[in-house]
Amino acid sequence: MQEFLTYGIYGTAFFLMLLGLYAALVKKNLVKIVIGLSVLDSGLHLLFVAVGYISNGTAPIFSPAVVGKNVVMVDPVPQALVLTAIVIGFGVTAVALALVVRLYRKHNTTNIDEIKNLKW
Amino acid sequence: MVISDPVYFIALPLLTAFLLPLFGKIYKPLIGIIPGLVFAFIAYISFDLYLNLVPGKPIVIQLAGWAPPWGINLVFSEFSGFVVTLITFLAFLVWVYSYNFKKVGFDNSKKYFTLLMLLVAGSIGVVLTGDIFNMFVFLEITAISSYGLTAFYKGRDSAEAAFKFLLIGSLSSTFILLAILLLYKQVGTLNMAEIAVKAQSIDPKMKSIIAILFMIGLGIEAEMFPMNGWVPDAYSQAPAPVAASFAGMLAKSGIYALVRVFYTVLEVDGIFDLLLIMGILTIIFAEFSAMRQTRLRRMLAYSSIGQMGLIMVAFSFNTKAGIFAGLFLMFNHAIIKSLLFLASGFLTYSTKQKKIRDLDGFGKIMPFTSLMFGLGAFAIVGLPPFSGFWGKLNMLVATADSNLYFVIALILLVAVVEVVYYFKVIGRLYFRQQHKEVEVHKPTWNAIAAMSVLAIVIIGVGIYPDLITDYLTKATNELFDKASYIHNVLPNLSLN
Repeated sequence: MQEFLTYGIYGTAFFLMLLGLYAALVKKNLVKIVIGLSVLDSGLHLLFVAVGYISNGTAPIFSPAVVGKNVVMVDPVPQALVLTAIVIGFGVTAVALALVVRLYRKHNTTNIDEIKNLKW
Repeated sequence: MVISDPVYFIALPLLTAFLLPLFGKIYKPLIGIIPGLVFAFIAYISFDLYLNLVPGKPIVIQLAGWAPPWGINLVFSEFSGFVVTLITFLAFLVWVYSYNFKKVGFDNSKKYFTLLMLLVAGSIGVVLTGDIFNMFVFLEITAISSYGLTAFYKGRDSAEAAFKFLLIGSLSSTFILLAILLLYKQVGTLNMAEIAVKAQSIDPKMKSIIAILFMIGLGIEAEMFPMNGWVPDAYSQAPAPVAASFAGMLAKSGIYALVRVFYTVLEVDGIFDLLLIMGILTIIFAEFSAMRQTRLRRMLAYSSIGQMGLIMVAFSFNTKAGIFAGLFLMFNHAIIKSLLFLASGFLTYSTKQKKIRDLDGFGKIMPFTSLMFGLGAFAIVGLPPFSGFWGKLNMLVATADSNLYFVIALILLVAVVEVVYYFKVIGRLYFRQQHKEVEVHKPTWNAIAAMSVLAIVIIGVGIYPDLITDYLTKATNELFDKASYIHNVLPNLSLN
């Protein structure tokens, strides 16, 4: 069960990352590209949390319930990193969508093939 | 002095960037004045700290009272201090130039200065930090503010350039984050000095994967070959002072991060050969693309990529002479390219297409700006008595030291190509008749001041290179001596 869960989580993370990369690089619609970037980020975040997990660990909080007892805790550092990474990903997505709005207003399309004033 | 603390380089621009709209509510002209004061102050303290730095004793600051390796630390050493001083100096000049560059109105200048301060804070943070994840965060601050600055003008195709930049940039940040994750999984720490000690025990294959991920991710900021599609668009669509600060700050912090990771944090066999190959490809691709450009700003952007390729080649030798040449080229690129971009801002001000052939005869109607552009072009090509000459000369000496004769041939060939496309512009400026009556925008007094300071630095260093060689040698020694970096950050750990 434990092994299945481990492989399941790592597998899902890599699948999400590949899916996001595919969407970001292949899709022609600007909004889909932004969604792809966001999915790619989510996969990476899942991978972060999975790497920090220690089997049967509890939340890494020092409370009277755990102090002095032989309790395994998960690694808190990747969780802290993931919080930062989520905020950054949110910021990038917001900027990207703002740019998509501006491109749509100017060109009246979200298809990347029709926006070619600069060489892509 | 109590007030000289590297924390101010990051904290002050970051804080004022977000307070700027509030200052604007109190009194509108403060929007333009406050950033100048902040940039002048951080430039002053960086010069103060850098000139008084004791060799071999970098200033290591713990943030929030947590000692490294747990907390985040800032390292102001000979190398990082050199880059920080360069960045703060350019930030101040960019402010001087853009203080009343094109009357864009209150709302726009508010956005412009806020983003510019974030860009400066981010670039300085990348250079100073001693924590690899913190470096990623600062790279993202830099990147997001650059997307905003690229999209600054609403009339042009700037949103398109910014979106392209964002797409490539966020892929790059994914690569960097993945590399950091793999590194953390292997060594269990994020402190750069501690990673440097523990990295020796990583499986070599894993280490190569991490190094290549770092190279892709950081290479995008450093304008490395396959990932630099954003450069010509961003440089040509952004306002001229922003293009100057991309060349002087964004690219500099990118190359700093690349060099710091490969020299100090991760020692991987063969990575310098890869860097050499990528650098050579970057040079060839960029210089030959630059020759075909019809628009001034795109030509400068490709030339900038070529210069960055040359810097990568210099750092890839892994010798003291190579690092010295790389640092000299970094200095030259920051100063000269900024001057060229600042001058191009006024040269192409009144032309709609921003094409090179619109500039016929501008030498007569805009004598000062044309002179500055000509001076910058002579300097970047590497003619004496400008500072570009010494950079190229040191580069050739370093290449000869490493017995890479085909690289010498390449550098000389590239110099010829550079002469061709820069002199094409100068020829049009001075030896052609003007097309028709054009609207002339005289450079403002502050733009003249900013460009003159850069020109004086170029000529000063060109005539008397000893002004900076001493500092460059110290920076070289610092970068080459990995053990003392580790010892200074973590006195209890050492390389075995």
